[in-house]
Amino acid sequence: MLTFVVRRLLLAVPVLFGVVFVVMLTVDLLPGDAVTLMLGEHATKDAVAKLRDHLGLDKPFLVRYLEYVGRVVRGDLGRSIQQNRPVVSELADTWPATLQLTVAALVLAAGAGILAGVASAVWPNSVFDALARLGSLFGLSMPIFWTGLVLIVVFSLWLNWLPVGGAGSLAHLILPAVTLALPSVAMISRMTRAAVLDVLREDYVRTARAKGVGELWVLGRHALRNAFIPILTLLGLQSGQLMGGAVLTETVFAWPGLGRLMVKAIFARDYILLQGAVLVFALAFVVINLLVDLSYGLLDPRIGRQG
Amino acid sequence: MRPTLRSRFLTGCLVLAVAAALVPAADAQKRGGTLTIVRPTDPVSLDPNLETTAPGAWVYFNMLEGLLTLDDKMQVKPLLATSYEVMSPTKVRFKLRPGVKFHDGTPFNAAAVKFTFDRALRGTPPARWASLAGSLDGAEVVDDLTVDVVTREPYGPILRTLAMYCMGMVSPTAVQKMGADFSRAPVGTGPFKFVEWKTNTHVIIERNPDYWGDRALVDRVVFKVVPEEGARMIALQTGDADMVLFPSPAQLPALRKDPKFTVHETTGIRVVFVGLHAGMPPLDDVRVRQALLHAVDRKAILDNIMEGSAGPALGVLAPGVFGFKDMHLDRLYPFDRAKAKALLAQAGWTPGSDGIMVKGGQRLSLSWLAARGRYPKDGEITEAIQAMFKEVGVEAKVQVLEWAAVFQQLRGATFNHHVFTLGWVTSNADADYSLYALFHSKQAPPTGWNTSRYANARVDALVEQARRSLNQTEREKLYGEVQDIVAKEMVWIPVYTTKEIIVSRANVKGFHIHPVEYNLTLSKTWIDK
Repeated sequence: MLTFVVRRLLLAVPVLFGVVFVVMLTVDLLPGDAVTLMLGEHATKDAVAKLRDHLGLDKPFLVRYLEYVGRVVRGDLGRSIQQNRPVVSELADTWPATLQLTVAALVLAAGAGILAGVASAVWPNSVFDALARLGSLFGLSMPIFWTGLVLIVVFSLWLNWLPVGGAGSLAHLILPAVTLALPSVAMISRMTRAAVLDVLREDYVRTARAKGVGELWVLGRHALRNAFIPILTLLGLQSGQLMGGAVLTETVFAWPGLGRLMVKAIFARDYILLQGAVLVFALAFVVINLLVDLSYGLLDPRIGRQG
Repeated sequence: MRPTLRSRFLTGCLVLAVAAALVPAADAQKRGGTLTIVRPTDPVSLDPNLETTAPGAWVYFNMLEGLLTLDDKMQVKPLLATSYEVMSPTKVRFKLRPGVKFHDGTPFNAAAVKFTFDRALRGTPPARWASLAGSLDGAEVVDDLTVDVVTREPYGPILRTLAMYCMGMVSPTAVQKMGADFSRAPVGTGPFKFVEWKTNTHVIIERNPDYWGDRALVDRVVFKVVPEEGARMIALQTGDADMVLFPSPAQLPALRKDPKFTVHETTGIRVVFVGLHAGMPPLDDVRVRQALLHAVDRKAILDNIMEGSAGPALGVLAPGVFGFKDMHLDRLYPFDRAKAKALLAQAGWTPGSDGIMVKGGQRLSLSWLAARGRYPKDGEITEAIQAMFKEVGVEAKVQVLEWAAVFQQLRGATFNHHVFTLGWVTSNADADYSLYALFHSKQAPPTGWNTSRYANARVDALVEQARRSLNQTEREKLYGEVQDIVAKEMVWIPVYTTKEIIVSRANVKGFHIHPVEYNLTLSKTWIDK
């Protein structure tokens, strides 16, 4: 078990540096550079050259990449180019907000999605099933920034129940979390419905019912536990999706998270800061997927034993 | 006659009484409360050495004060200095305001002025505003309350340079004690002092109770970050925000009519124009350039594209800039297609079979480099003028690129397009900043910004003389002459002058918008509960 975890984490290292390489190359290929953006368009040639030299931006791409990797290996994420502030401080200021938002959205998405999915499976082709199907289609089709603005108009402007944006209290969290969760609720509910319907047709479910086991027990103990493996895989993938969606949600709701930090870093061509944020996202994705893999073993002992 | 006089007198009294009732007296100003301002982005830094853009400047402008400032009529006014005297072409002596203390209790004196300039100009790297400050070299202490500001060369724009928003004095003790942290919690002498900065959420400043001048009226100002334009406008409507910087232009017409809001607007200091490459045939012929100016209906662009969100361009400078002279473009270059065609005919161009002018087998076809979204409505303006050119037989082939790519080409030593769309802001509000960099023949990129490759020996001599002079009356005259010459040989089609626009709720009183977007003065603003 432990060797499995360690091996998976070690495998993540080349993945992370690969991600860093691609991101850094992309920023390098974008037109415009950090120094012009910092000094303004009217800066003198001399001032631009001095600052580029000071920041080490005139070095070749590969040299900068290797220097960056070298620093990260020693545990130093560097200082942001634009703000001259340790990247670690920037990340520390922002990642808790993103974590809070993603976890809230994931819990909402999983809760609502699984409930709706199970209900749809238990009463297939009912009115509820039809409504859930329609709702899912809607949730999947609407872009986050649109749903977000509509929710703001309804709940903040018209009803005046919830704040327009920002962070601070639980009330601030509701709208962004719901907005972010909506597309995932749709995905999860459809997936749960299919998985549970499949399992309900299995022989062991018929056997359980034949034994006279109560319907709730059949659902909870036999059907759901087996249907959970594909759902869990989806949840793992959705968590990545949610982190990506956080970039938009954070912008619409002025939520002070990592997503907006990344957007800011891209606009400033601040590749050092951007790398820090990307590393956090990539690492979170690796860890979540590892957790998903590990939990398969808990649900289905056969998987765990194969290591 | 007597009764008439008497009744007039009585009417006068009545009018006065009504006026007195309507106009709130000074003591009607209410103190207290929190002013919440929303804007799209978080500051880069609150230290002017690291931040010259608006998100940070809006905040530190209320905490840090310079020796001089520009009032909202764009006149230089004393702030931490009480008077000045020109000692030599490279030296100006300032008397400092006595009894001023920084927010941390450190006394403000000549040593603090010297410290601020040394830190900015001799640091590695130098302050980000160093490029804007010309040949400013630093300060020398004369006595505790007297300081000499020195320049490397005679530098006429020195007063307006020192009045720039980013020239605020910093507390030497605080800088030494805080080190790099100073950039997130600056200590100045201003009417507000720093309270808290939560990254990407808000910056809070509060009234400085020990301020040397009139104390601020509100208790606190909260600058909130709301990146989404729609959400910013909703925040204003729900009352989550009292003031929006960068309001949505589409909503302005409705907001202007709504008594719940006040739209504050004034002419800014940026001119958006279509530049002509005078070094490249056929635009090296002044008649062709003049024909293009006559071909453009600038009023139609202002009315139909800008829809009240910009003012007319009166020349190559904005009216608030020192040295500005109205070029009377509407008189010199009225919209007149017949005149345009006549000028082209004089230059030897005759209509070809497809309506495009031809000369010696060559079509009058211009290549045009433009970005979209860098300046308000720049893309729409480019398209409109392209169509207007066509009406007089001039073909324009527009290439739209991302701004950073356009910028790179404009800054290159060679520029291979006839026409470009660009905006220019006179950052220090002194004509030197623009007329020197834009029209001196030695200022072609990459050195300066003479992207039109304009060359006129007389203009060179005049802008050099005006830069060396510290006599402001003489300078104003010299710049007037420069603009008279440039107007006759136009290498720009000035399109509009930007407007600064801020929207607040109607109960926000006493706020005066400034032509320079960074100069956001909040100490006189109050909230009518």
